[in-house]
Amino acid sequence: MESRARFDAHVAVDAVGLVKTYTSRSGSVDAVRGVDLQVASGELFGFLGPNGAGKSTTVKMLTTLLSITGGSARVAGVDVAADPDAARERIGVALQEAGLDVRQTGRELLVLQARLFGMSRPAAAARAQELLELVDLLDAADRRIKGYSGGMRRRLDLASALVHRPDVLFLDEPTTGLDPASRLTVWDEVRRINRLGTTVFLTTQYLEEADQLCDRIAIIDDGRIVREGTPAALKAQLREQLGLNADPTLDEVFLEATGRTRDRIEGEVQAVTS
Amino acid sequence: MTSPAVVLGGRAIRETLRTPEAIAPTLFIPLFFLVVNVGQAGRIFPTGHTSFLHGQGYAAFQLPASLLLAASFGSAAMFLVEDIEGGYFDKLRATPIPRTAIAFGRLAAEGVKSLVLTAVLTLVAMAFGVRLASGAFGFVLLLLLTAGWAVVFSGFMQLIALKTRSAAATQSGGLVFFPLLFLTPNFVPRHMLTHPMEVAATINPVTYIMEGMRSLILVHFDWAAIGKGFLVVALAGLVMAALNARAIRAYD
Repeated sequence: MESRARFDAHVAVDAVGLVKTYTSRSGSVDAVRGVDLQVASGELFGFLGPNGAGKSTTVKMLTTLLSITGGSARVAGVDVAADPDAARERIGVALQEAGLDVRQTGRELLVLQARLFGMSRPAAAARAQELLELVDLLDAADRRIKGYSGGMRRRLDLASALVHRPDVLFLDEPTTGLDPASRLTVWDEVRRINRLGTTVFLTTQYLEEADQLCDRIAIIDDGRIVREGTPAALKAQLREQLGLNADPTLDEVFLEATGRTRDRIEGEVQAVTS
Repeated sequence: MTSPAVVLGGRAIRETLRTPEAIAPTLFIPLFFLVVNVGQAGRIFPTGHTSFLHGQGYAAFQLPASLLLAASFGSAAMFLVEDIEGGYFDKLRATPIPRTAIAFGRLAAEGVKSLVLTAVLTLVAMAFGVRLASGAFGFVLLLLLTAGWAVVFSGFMQLIALKTRSAAATQSGGLVFFPLLFLTPNFVPRHMLTHPMEVAATINPVTYIMEGMRSLILVHFDWAAIGKGFLVVALAGLVMAALNARAIRAYD
């Protein structure tokens, strides 16, 4: 009992039997079918899966953006369904599409975001300045976001998710659509944020990204977790299972876990190299 | 601490100022209709021989219709759809503010925008000879009544935006205003309409707003007419506020 209590204090994300069913006139679709997840505080956790596997739906439930059909989830110790406002105080979110208002300048966007988290105008301005420096956007701070490149938008989105110093940062495919240089910059930012103590929950389709960044990963397919562990452990497990002489790649782990062949997966998951 | 609705309202006003192409038609189209309608019907209703004009030109009678048209060109709902499609709406939903602040902030900004537009349109009309029989206080009431309608109609449009999340559906929803505007005593007072049109105008709530505005322009303070106008705006405003609050809280 004591060990369980000690463990809970170090759990940043705790999902039990998470279910999401979409119901429409044409019937119902089970997008997430009972996901159990535990992410330790300070961890950089990777959440992988092919398109439509349930990654974004799970993230949206964990971040209070989507109602939960079944099961429960606690983030930073707060039940996201029972007390969503308290949960939002503790989590930062950067979703798949960099959710930015392109008519504002980078600075205005960060100040606004900070004020929505309850900061006074001077405190919000100071925090915006700090974050603009952190993501190296000071030169472009007073330009409209409309003129930002994809990489700059991603970095600004990341900064806007950090205004309130969240305990847990959710990043949903933060590097999708970026050129290799911008992708590496975002990786550096994610590592830096994590080093400063923020738990990072990262969804990605790029297996190399997960391999490079994450302490531990889970693979979701068809709404269910099919593998979970450190990249090294998952590779070792497959190596043993197949009797290989060398460790397989994370791509091979992914293909085996999701029952996909390379032909079938083409266009769903892409491998990139740094 | 400043209310989140006020912070978001400020952002919506900044957004409007940075999109002049969305404001220009709001000024131009109502003025265009005012000029065209007066040009077409002005000689039928000469000032000296038309009792319902109370000594003014036909432009004074037509002004409320143009003001209501301008107030119904609100862009809040279209900007909201842009936020939804671009992902910024989710960014706002992920903050610990009451979700109603997102909808009400935009509606408040729409009210402020309408105050300014109504003032500009009225001043332009006054430059061309329209007088406000109710004076400066009447001018303030005219601004408030028109801005109140702008908030109500924007609330209706936002409701469509929240329900459909579609720019096309939201834009189409705005066309509802045309039957609302034309099933009114738009060209002549209600008692001069044909019977079916009079019935339609009587059950159309916009009629009472238009008659309230018209009384401020033409007949000093007819409190019965003005009161009905404000009552319609208040009731419709409450309904729209409640529906918007429900829609944004249930947004999934």
